[in-house]
Amino acid sequence: MTAKIAIRNLDFFYGSHQALRGVTLDFPERQVTALIGPSGCGKSTLLRCLNRMYDLYPGQRATGEAMMDGMNIIGPGVDVDLLRSRIGMVFQRPTPFPMSVRENIAFGVRLHERPSRAEMEERVEWALTRAALWDEVKDRLAAPATGLSGGQQQRLCIARTIAVKPEVILLDEPTSALDPISTLKVEELIDELKRDFTIAMVTHNMQQAARVADQVAFFYLGEMVEVADAGTMFTAPREKRTQDYITGRFG
Amino acid sequence: MSFRRVLAVFAGVLPASLIAVLLFLAVYSWPAVRFNGIGFVTSTSWNLGNTYGSPILRNGVQVLPGAHYGILFLIAGTLLSTVIALLIAVPVGVGAAIFLAEAVPGWMRQWLSFFVELLAAVPSVVFGLWGYAVLVPLLGHFIYPAMGHVLGFIPFLGGSTGSGYGLLTAGIVLSLMIVPLIAATLRDAILAEPMVVRESAAALGATRFEAVWKVVLPGVRKILIGVTILATGRALGETMAVLMVSGNALNYLPPNIYSPISTMAAFIVSQLDSALQDPTGLAVRSLAEVALVLSVISIGVNTLARLVLYRSGLKAGQV
Repeated sequence: MTAKIAIRNLDFFYGSHQALRGVTLDFPERQVTALIGPSGCGKSTLLRCLNRMYDLYPGQRATGEAMMDGMNIIGPGVDVDLLRSRIGMVFQRPTPFPMSVRENIAFGVRLHERPSRAEMEERVEWALTRAALWDEVKDRLAAPATGLSGGQQQRLCIARTIAVKPEVILLDEPTSALDPISTLKVEELIDELKRDFTIAMVTHNMQQAARVADQVAFFYLGEMVEVADAGTMFTAPREKRTQDYITGRFG
Repeated sequence: MSFRRVLAVFAGVLPASLIAVLLFLAVYSWPAVRFNGIGFVTSTSWNLGNTYGSPILRNGVQVLPGAHYGILFLIAGTLLSTVIALLIAVPVGVGAAIFLAEAVPGWMRQWLSFFVELLAAVPSVVFGLWGYAVLVPLLGHFIYPAMGHVLGFIPFLGGSTGSGYGLLTAGIVLSLMIVPLIAATLRDAILAEPMVVRESAAALGATRFEAVWKVVLPGVRKILIGVTILATGRALGETMAVLMVSGNALNYLPPNIYSPISTMAAFIVSQLDSALQDPTGLAVRSLAEVALVLSVISIGVNTLARLVLYRSGLKAGQV
């Protein structure tokens, strides 16, 4: 299995507070890697390293290596805006932009390409179809995206991310604000998307990790404790801390 | 009386006084309304008539012979100077708000914001005096002649560039007075937009500017509309600063943007003395009718502003 992203000895600091310590982890291409662990363990922080989201905040910095196709993502001289077109991100809460459904999709595309009107229409339909949302919104593309339901908004955010045609998608607890039915839809969608995209997902939900992930990594206090395929992780974890967390003894 | 009732009386004083003022204006200006009719707002002629002649009876009102009151030129001066002020203040205010919210570090933002708010606290007569002493000669001697020379082919930008007192100068001074209002309100609105909205735009590869311009700003556009309408109300009613730089034009519509004008608020102050010379009292009543028209326009604009702010979920008191 080739690694799409290979992290080696990654440290991360919020000012003087170290949030990640020597993390080493591979994200296999076209697989779903779930990052699990108690709150504050650094799993979201790791996700935010991969698209350099921490760049928005002075005082936050990462050291070490996160190699993608021979480029160190967290190294100097990286074109961050271009990087983010290759590594998309979906957040915990749906964040539809204050514009129409169509414009939400077109927004990201226009940042990187100059498609014709027809090409854009095609791209919008493609992205919404891939995000399993097309049938629900095809008659209201011009309506404000804020009028969609929470589950639809989250799939819109996924569609918006896909539309830019990234290689990697980062999902930061993508279903934690959704109801069970919407959650199920998003999980099915993730399963479908891994055919084309490498996916890294933070989740607090063990069942979800078991259902959708190929590989699971357990984080604790800023360290990557254990990584294994999902089957092994949930049936025969190597470390006692992992076992305690998975079985709900803390967290 | 219980404490509650005392408070209710205090609170009731405010709406009661608004109604009292409007009622007073309506009653007090009633003879003028009867005499002037609709021509008051459609014609341009403020003429007290022959102050030495004997009063005659018209529409049941005692008037001086030859008296005619039409304030279209005041309405035009008021609305045009306000529009010019907004055309300058909205882009500058938006730019300043973005700069304050996004481009400066926290400690510097506090200082700069402090200055912006201080600007809002400067009394309008100070702006007027500065406009009179600095802006009028500067614009009248250097800027306007150059503008007329270069931009003269554009309608309303050519022709006589005048002395510096006039429509554009009034608009500029007004804009200085409303920029702080727009900048401070919009800065707070931009800062209140959740960081995750910016992150979402950034996650798609948007630069910081693209995220603010295309995503954050559309998110606060209702607040921008609301504060712009409030600023409009302020500009419509501003008296002293406009009086000192507008040139106090009487009885003509401005042929270009350099032309002297007068506004309703400034006109009431500047004409009260001469209106008192009218023994029938109709001139003063007509000034009251000017105030009535101004109040109706201002209250209409403000009501619209509250409505927009209410619908955007922002309390008017925050502005």
